[in-house]
Amino acid sequence: MINITNLEKVYRTDEVETIALNKLSIEIKKGEFVAVMGPSGCGKSTLLNILGLLDDPDAGSFVFNGTEIAKYNERQRAELRKHNIGFVFQSFNLIDELTVFENVELPLIYTGVKASERKQKVDEVLEKVQIMHRRNHYPQQLSGGQQQRVAVARAVVNNPKLILADEPTGNLDSSNGNEVMELLTNLNEQGTTIIMVTHSEHDARYSHRIIRMLDGQTVTENILI
Amino acid sequence: MFTNYFKTAFRSLWKNRLFSGINIIGLTIGISCCLLIGLYIKHELSYDDFQEKGSRTVRVIMEYSFGENVTKGNFTSTKVAPAFKKNFPEVESAIRLYDARNVVKYNDRLFNENGFVYADSNFFNMFTFPLLSGDPRTALQGPDKIVLTRSSAKKYFGDENPIGKTLAVGSNARPFVVTGITADCPSNSQIKYNMLASFSSLGPAQEETYWNANYTTYLLLKNEASIASLQSKIPAFMKKEMGETSKTYILFHLEPMKSIHLYSPYSGFEPNSSITYIWIIIAAALLMLAIACFTYINLGTASSMERAREVGIRKVLGAAKNQLFYQYIGESFLLCAISLVLSILVLLITLPYFNQLADKQLSIISLLEPVPLALTLFVLGSVSFLAGSYPALVLAGFNPVKVLKGSFKNTRSGLFTRKSLIVFQFVISVFLIVCTFVIQNQLHYIQHSKLGYNREHTLIVPMDQKILDNIDAIKTGFKTNPGVLNISRAMNPPTKIVGGYNMRNATMPEDVQINVKANPVDEEFIKTTGLQLIAGTDFSRQDILDLGKEVQEENIYHYVINETAARQLGLTPQQAVGQKMFLGNHRPGLIKGVVKDFNFESLHTPIGGLVLFPEPRGATMLIKLSGQNMQQTIASLENKWKELIPHRPFDYSFLDEVYNKMYSSEIRLGKVMSLFSGIAILLACMGLFGLSAYAAQQRVKEIGIRKVLGASVINIIATLSKEFVILSGIAALIAFPAGWWIMHKWLEDFSYRTTISAWTFILAGALAVIITIITVSLRAVKAALANPVKSLRTE
Ligand SMILES: Nc1ncnc2c1ncn2[C@@H]1O[C@H](COP(=O)(O)OP(=O)(O)OP(=O)(O)O)[C@@H](O)[C@H]1O
Ligand SMILES: [Mg+2]
Repeated sequence: MINITNLEKVYRTDEVETIALNKLSIEIKKGEFVAVMGPSGCGKSTLLNILGLLDDPDAGSFVFNGTEIAKYNERQRAELRKHNIGFVFQSFNLIDELTVFENVELPLIYTGVKASERKQKVDEVLEKVQIMHRRNHYPQQLSGGQQQRVAVARAVVNNPKLILADEPTGNLDSSNGNEVMELLTNLNEQGTTIIMVTHSEHDARYSHRIIRMLDGQTVTENILI
Repeated sequence: MFTNYFKTAFRSLWKNRLFSGINIIGLTIGISCCLLIGLYIKHELSYDDFQEKGSRTVRVIMEYSFGENVTKGNFTSTKVAPAFKKNFPEVESAIRLYDARNVVKYNDRLFNENGFVYADSNFFNMFTFPLLSGDPRTALQGPDKIVLTRSSAKKYFGDENPIGKTLAVGSNARPFVVTGITADCPSNSQIKYNMLASFSSLGPAQEETYWNANYTTYLLLKNEASIASLQSKIPAFMKKEMGETSKTYILFHLEPMKSIHLYSPYSGFEPNSSITYIWIIIAAALLMLAIACFTYINLGTASSMERAREVGIRKVLGAAKNQLFYQYIGESFLLCAISLVLSILVLLITLPYFNQLADKQLSIISLLEPVPLALTLFVLGSVSFLAGSYPALVLAGFNPVKVLKGSFKNTRSGLFTRKSLIVFQFVISVFLIVCTFVIQNQLHYIQHSKLGYNREHTLIVPMDQKILDNIDAIKTGFKTNPGVLNISRAMNPPTKIVGGYNMRNATMPEDVQINVKANPVDEEFIKTTGLQLIAGTDFSRQDILDLGKEVQEENIYHYVINETAARQLGLTPQQAVGQKMFLGNHRPGLIKGVVKDFNFESLHTPIGGLVLFPEPRGATMLIKLSGQNMQQTIASLENKWKELIPHRPFDYSFLDEVYNKMYSSEIRLGKVMSLFSGIAILLACMGLFGLSAYAAQQRVKEIGIRKVLGASVINIIATLSKEFVILSGIAALIAFPAGWWIMHKWLEDFSYRTTISAWTFILAGALAVIITIITVSLRAVKAALANPVKSLRTE
C-alpha cells in the first residue's frame, strides 16, 4: 500500500538546519497495523505528516497504492487525503464550536455526501464508538477518552483505507487508553491499515510490527505476529 | 454544507461576543452613515427631475458692465423673456418669475409671506406643478389672480374652499382672486413658492427694459440640442439691441435647469448645493465605512490564531482552501447582514433629526426603490467581501501541520497590516479633528469679528410704501419707548447691501463708470448701525428735504461713501469731503462724509466701494435698542405697532441672527464635520479597544511574569499602551499636512479669515494621544490588576 524510499525532510530555520528524516525507507502492506516508536525529536510526527499528505518530502519517493505522489501539489494531496486517510491526534483536535455529531459529520460534508446518508453514517459510527448518547454535546462537555473516541469516529466515518494516529493515548489514562486501542484494533481487523506513533510499549503491543526510529532513520523492526 | 457554515459562523460570532459586538457596532455606524448619506445624495441628485420639460429648460444669467468692472448674476430684466421669444425660433416659450415678500390678509388672518412669487401665465405649461383645482391655462392670466399651495390655502382658509375667494395683498390691501390650488413644492425643486400671483399684477411688467435686473427668466427650448447654438447667437443680438457704440454692455448666459442645483454658482429660490460638497460627503461616508471595515480586518486577523486550530482540523479533514475561504467570507456576510438590519433601525430613529439638521424631507421608503436597493445590497456584498477576505485569506492559508502542532504562534503574521490599518484609522480621525477645529475657529471668527458696524440689540423689520409715507410719525411713536435709542429706515440692512449702482467723479467722462453698491438711507442710519465717520459729517434731515425737486437732475445729493469708494475715485478720505460726484448719471451731488470700511457683504467677498445716499426710499427698518429689558421693550413695541401699522404683522428679527444666517452653510458644514469626526473617533477607538483587549489577552503570561518581577500597575499599562501611542503619534504626523492643506484651501474662499495656528495641531495631536491612552487603558488596567499566579498556572 505504501512504499517510501530514501525519503528526506529538512527543516530550515534562521540559524539551524534540522534533518528530520534522513533517507528513510519503509514499506507498509495493506491491512497492516504498524507502531512507530522512538525518542522525542526523532522524526515520528514528521513521518506521519508526510504519510498523511499534510506535508511534502524534500527528496525521495513515496508510492501510495501504486502511484508516485511525492511531487503532488496541495490540491491533489487534499483530494487524495479526504477519500483515503483518517487522522487521530494526541490532543483530539475537535472543533469546539461544533457538537459531537457535527464534528463527526465534517469529513462527509467535505467529500460531498448527501445529508440523509451522512446522518445514517454518523449515527452508525457513533454507535460503534459508543458515544451515541452524547451526540449533541460539545467537546468541552466530554471526558478525554470520550473526546478521543469521537476523534476516532471522525477519522473512520469516511471508511478510509488508512488511519494515522499520532500518540492517540498520550493524553489519556490507561483505561481510557485501552478503550481507544481496542477500537483501533477492531478497525484493523475489519481491514483498515493503521499506522500509529506511540511512546508506550504497552500500546505498541496491539500492533503487528514496531518500527523503531532514531535521528530520522529506522533502526530496527520487530515483527510481533 | 451551507447550514454547517452558517452554524459555525453564528456560534463563533457568539463565542467571541466582545469582538463581534465591536464589529457589529462599528459596521452598523459605518453602514448607517452610508445609508443616510446615500438618501441625502439621492435627494440632491434628484433635483428638478420631476420637471417633465426640465431638460429643455434653461435659466438665464445676466452679465453686464458700465466699462469698469463686470457683474454677473441670476437676476434678469423684464425684457429678456419677451425679446428672446420673439427673436429666436429655438425658444418655445419664456417665463419671468419675481420672488417677493408680501403681507397677505384674509379676514383676521394676516401674515407676512415669503415665497410670494409673481409668474407669467405660462407657468403651468412650462413647469410640472400640477394644479389640484383650477385651470392651468387661465389661472395666472390677467392681473390680480393668485394660486396657492395646499398648505397656504389651509393656512388662510382652513377647510373652506378657497377658489373664487379674495385675498388682500400688500400695504394697500389689493384684492387677488384665488384661481387654483397646487400641491406643495417638492423639496427637490429649485423653484419654491407658497403663492403664485399673476405677473401682470406687477407694475414693471408693463415696461419692458433690459435694466432693473430683479426677475428670474427661464426659457423652454424646442430642442435640448439647441442650447449651444442659441448661446452663440446672444452676443451679436445683444450688441444690436444695446447699440453698436455703447461702452456699457449686457450679455446673457444659459444654464440647463437640471444642472443648476449642483453646478451653478448662482442660487435661486433657495441656496444651491454643490457637486464638490456631494463628493466631500461621499468621501466622508466611505471613510467611516472604511474605518469600520479596518476594525473588522484587524480584529479578524488578530484573533485568527484562536481559529487556526479549527482551520487546521478542517483542512486535515479534507476542506479545500477555497471552501474555508468562503466559510469565513460567509461569516463576515452574516455580520454585515446583522449590521445592515441594525442600521436600518438606526436610520428610522435618526432620520427625523437628520432632516432637521439638513433641512430636508428624506424618507427611508426611498431605499426600497430599485437603484438604492441594488446599491445597498452592493455595499453589503462589497463590505462583506472587502472586510472578510483578508482575514479569510489569512485563515484559509494556514498550514495545518504547523497549526496542529499546538505551539503555533501567529504574533508576527499580519502585524504590519494591522499597524498600518490602525495608523490609517487615526490619520482619518486626526484629519477630521483638525478640519473641525479650523472650521469652528472660522465660525468663531465670523461670529465675533468686528465688522465695522454694531449688530447687537438691533431689530430689523421689513417695511413697505405705506410705512414709508408715514415714517416720521411712526418713528416718533416708537421713540416714546425709553428702550429705543435710534430708528433708521434704509433699503438694505448693513449686513447685506445688494443694490448695484455706478458712480463717477466730475472729471471722469460720462461713459466711464465705476460699479459700486449703494444704499438709500436716512439721517439716523450711521448712528443706528454705529458706523465710524473718519472724515466729514453725518447726514442731516435737511439733506433728505433737499431732494424734493420733481426733476431728479436738479436736486443736489449729499453722499457718505466708504474708504474704498474714495480710493476708487482717486481721493483720500480728507480730500474726498466736499468733492463733486455722480451716482448714476442723474444724481449730481457732493461727498459729505467718509466712513471707515465695513463688511456690508459676506466675509467671502472683499469690501468694495459703497455709497450711502439719503433718498427717501426703504424696505427695512432698523431699531436700535438699549439692551435693557429687551423682552418688555419688544412687547411694548409690538403694541405700538398694532396701533400705528395695523395692516402688517410685527415681523421682526435680530440683526445678529440675520447676520449668522448668512453663514448657515458654513455653520452646517461645521456641524456635519463635528459629527463625522466624532463618529470617526468613536469607530477608531472601538477598533483600538478591540485590538488592545486582544493584545492584553495575548500577553497575560508576560504580564504575570513582569508583575512577579516587580512591575507596578502603571508600568504595565505603559508597556501595553506604548505601541498604540506611538502609532497614533505617527498618524497625527501624517494627518497634519493633509488637514492643513485642505483647510488652507477652504479658508482661501473667505476674504476675511482666521489663521491656522500651531495650537490647532498641538490640540488635535494631544487629543488623539489622550484618547488612545484612555481607550487602551480600559483593558490594560484589568490585565494589570489580574493575579499573576492565576495567569502563570495555565499551560
Ligand atoms: N516546523 C518545524 N521547524 C523546524 N524544525 C522542526 C519542525 N517540526 C519538527 N522539527 C524538528 O524536526 C525534528 C523531528 O520532529 P518531530 O516532530 O517529527 O519529532 P517527534 O519524533 O514527533 O517527537 P515527539 O516524540 O516529541 O513528538 C525535531 O528535531 C524537531 O525539532
Ligand atoms: Mg511527535
